[in-house]
Amino acid sequence: MAAGILFTLALGLYVARMEPGLSNLWLYGLHKTCGAMLLALALLRLGWHVGHPPPGPLPGPPAWAMTLARATHRALYALMLAVPLSGWAYASATGLDVLVFGGVRLPAIAPVSEAWEDALHLAHILLTRLMLALILLHVAGALRRALVERDGTLARMTTGRRG
Amino acid sequence: MPRLLAPLLLLLAPLAAPPAAAAPVPYSLDAACSRVAFEVAFGPDRISGTMPVAAADLALDFRDVSTSHVDVTLDAADATASFPFAAQAMKGPKVLDAGHFPAITFVSRSVTRTTEGARIEGLLTLRGVARPVTLDARIYRQTGTAEGDLSHLTLKLTGTVRRSDFGATGWADMVSDEVRLDILARVDRAG
Repeated sequence: MAAGILFTLALGLYVARMEPGLSNLWLYGLHKTCGAMLLALALLRLGWHVGHPPPGPLPGPPAWAMTLARATHRALYALMLAVPLSGWAYASATGLDVLVFGGVRLPAIAPVSEAWEDALHLAHILLTRLMLALILLHVAGALRRALVERDGTLARMTTGRRG
Repeated sequence: MPRLLAPLLLLLAPLAAPPAAAAPVPYSLDAACSRVAFEVAFGPDRISGTMPVAAADLALDFRDVSTSHVDVTLDAADATASFPFAAQAMKGPKVLDAGHFPAITFVSRSVTRTTEGARIEGLLTLRGVARPVTLDARIYRQTGTAEGDLSHLTLKLTGTVRRSDFGATGWADMVSDEVRLDILARVDRAG
């Protein structure tokens, strides 16, 4: 999922800046397809957590760092839902069909108007920026665990083993 | 000198007088063999499409072109474009708003002769906004008709409109403001 999120973020930044033409129109579709898949994966992941809660953090870092880590995790989960939903809503507000997988039409989830379109586009951009910042924070926290505490948290994150 | 001029004027008089036949003749449009096409720039590429003609009322006068007139209604709701997204975007509220304004009309206000055809100035109404538009017209005889036979003609009309003049500003960052028109009209003299 991390790789998918980074790829979709990068693709989104690219399509927002490219000169659109017939040859690269499919990239919009790819971005939407990735976003839809990530939304589905985020829902599955949260559903899985209901029955299988993830292990708590290993003790060690100061209380402020533990609080920051918990807040970052919660915000990242919220954004895993909010970022694709805002993109879907923005695409709906343009009045064009939201097509994923090269032809599956998603239902419109926002009214068609330029005011909604502008607002949702801004929301999608701001939420994405926030997500990028939190990803950096999350990576910084994991690196601190790996390089300062050296407690095996990074290995636990990447392999799933309880070390 | 006046004695010389008088016969000359007499000689020229029949030519100067308007011929009896100089009245605009109604023509009917052969919609099935006609095409209203348009083209816009889309990045390095082009989007083209067509719009069906809902109604056309035209009268042509080849002796005095200024009395000719054209009145055409296009069906924006049934317009097509080179790919589905483009057609949907074009008919949507940010461009043609075909849901509210299904008709696009053109009414000529003046027709003047040019060296190679005629210039038609008229009023184009789309999205409920009327703006002057100039079309260049070339008139051709259809294949299989004899020289001088004006009963079946082909008109080629070209021109450019700026969609922003009509408030059709959607996707301005992707699609050009300038829309090139390329209209091929096959017309038959009525009656």
